[in-house]
Amino acid sequence: MHPVCNALPASDYHAVKEFILSGLVNGLAVGSIYALIALGFALLYKSTKILNLAHGELVLFGGYLAIALTQFVPFALAVVLTLLAAALLGFTVERVIMRPLFGQPLLSVIIVTLALGYVVRGLMVGIWGGSTRNFPAALPGGILRVAGIPIQSVGVYSAATAACLLLVFWLFFRYSLVGIAMRAAANEQLTASTLGVSLRRVFAYAWAFASMAGAVGGILLGLWLGVNFALGFVGLKALAAVILGGLDSIPGAILGGFTIGIIETIAGGYIDANIIYGFKDITAFVVILLVLLVRPYGLFGTEHVERL
Amino acid sequence: MSVRPAGDFKTSYVQDMAILDTRFYRIGFAVLVAGLVLAPLWAGRYIFLLNTIGIYAVGACGLALLTGFTGQISLGHAAFMAIGAYSSAFLSQALRLPFVVALPVASFITFLFGIVVGLPSLRIKGLYLAIATLAFQFLTEYALIHATGGIGATTVPPVSVGGWTVRTDRQFYYVVLVFWVAAGVFAANLVRSRIGLAFMAVRDRDYAAQVLGIHLLYYKALAFGIAAFYAGVAGSLWAHYNRLITTEQFNVGASIDYVAMIVIGGLTSAWGPHLGSAFVWILSQGLRIIAPAVLAVFPAFGKIATPLREIVFGVTLIALLIWEPGGLAMLLRKLKRKLDLWPFAY
Repeated sequence: MHPVCNALPASDYHAVKEFILSGLVNGLAVGSIYALIALGFALLYKSTKILNLAHGELVLFGGYLAIALTQFVPFALAVVLTLLAAALLGFTVERVIMRPLFGQPLLSVIIVTLALGYVVRGLMVGIWGGSTRNFPAALPGGILRVAGIPIQSVGVYSAATAACLLLVFWLFFRYSLVGIAMRAAANEQLTASTLGVSLRRVFAYAWAFASMAGAVGGILLGLWLGVNFALGFVGLKALAAVILGGLDSIPGAILGGFTIGIIETIAGGYIDANIIYGFKDITAFVVILLVLLVRPYGLFGTEHVERL
Repeated sequence: MSVRPAGDFKTSYVQDMAILDTRFYRIGFAVLVAGLVLAPLWAGRYIFLLNTIGIYAVGACGLALLTGFTGQISLGHAAFMAIGAYSSAFLSQALRLPFVVALPVASFITFLFGIVVGLPSLRIKGLYLAIATLAFQFLTEYALIHATGGIGATTVPPVSVGGWTVRTDRQFYYVVLVFWVAAGVFAANLVRSRIGLAFMAVRDRDYAAQVLGIHLLYYKALAFGIAAFYAGVAGSLWAHYNRLITTEQFNVGASIDYVAMIVIGGLTSAWGPHLGSAFVWILSQGLRIIAPAVLAVFPAFGKIATPLREIVFGVTLIALLIWEPGGLAMLLRKLKRKLDLWPFAY
């Protein structure tokens, strides 16, 4: 997916070192964006217990809308407008679709998010067509060197932005009233509710934030790789990140995002180039299966003890 | 919820066990079967639609047993169908086995795959199982693409039973119909047997079922196996019907279609998978027919026509789940009750 790994000559120490370092740098860069997207995913699951299989489509939505807006307004304004639109989309989805389904069985909720994904993706295809679109050069292009490793500068800026946003999210949850209410609700819904936290509002905010995190992820990835429908699959990579980190753990999601980025670039890239072609895009699923088999609740998720 | 007319008492166990328990259902079923047998007379060129509905209904029956009755969510049902289709293609193309041998053997191979995929379900549950099966779906697609090269296009010889070679859609329809009815009847009876009751106990609370002496591993694996077997039959039929299979036909979208079918139809109804399959395919075919007509009237509509199926499909699913989570089967039941009682409310 991203321009990193070349086939590597075996048993060449420097080439191996170069390959791994380059994989680390690029993996961290792309991983930071995955982390941001996974954060939205985990946030939504933590506060509403909904596994949003339409998350990839929210990423698509952000990317496409931002590109469309840059044709009319400057880039910065386009980003702000996209974020507002994403928040609005999140609120709408919560109000129109998810609230009536509160308390419905798991399968219904999964199906509804899938259906939501269909609708969003269908609308995107209908409005903007299927071809790859690129952002106007909003960030300086060219190649930067990080620790002697060449990387596209867009990647560096995207990663830096993602890292800043992760910090902003963390501060938000640590200090703001809404953030604290959301954490309380995530921790124990009933208790939080009796203490005056409005669950409806928390759910609405959770959807809005998840949608915004997805949209930012879409913009950042779009800046780097261009926007097309393959971007929707990032939702599944975020899923892998979240499973790895533990579904209800936000630090886990962030760490998972970085890990998936690195695993995908190094292991995926190596196998892709040397063993079987196309492995990189399914690395995420191999990780999902392995984690589920060994430690289903992930690295930092709460282990669910079932009692009769 | 069985609504029966007043004065219709069951006086023997045989009556109590009957699936079609009132005259309405018995006559209705007879009319339905007769209608289906005579379908080539009235369906005209849409017989292909009935073939597709039938094949998918067989697969959906399996998924209904797994998800509706055993409570194991699977987002990888199309992967089983793919395994059935490709093993059937291999058996009949490379090994030159006749259809009557290839289909059961391919289905049995799929059954074994189902057991293997079902084993982790003892440890992975609910949401996590859904994700694991989704991963299984993608990995199977990937493996098939790499095993066959390219898009996995494989040709399959036509069905030939006892010297009679099936060539047209109409002839194939009867092949489908046999399996369709058999699959539906078998599923409807299975859920009333010891196995079906155990499945439902596992669905409602697996540990409680275990305490009551139900072997969890056995029944969960069996549920996956049976579901996979159904998908294998469907895949094998599909392979022989289309004569050219690609991995595209069994992608994650098909898996989602399957889940949508059983949810739309009604999860725990014997009619659910059939209604759902019919609904999904009639909807998508109908849209394919309507779209150009709409386009002729509103040319501005042009761009949205391509993804129209996805959008309408998604909106229908969401609306149905919000308004009638019991699916079409429940909707029909309510309608019948309304008509029975009309013009009174109770």
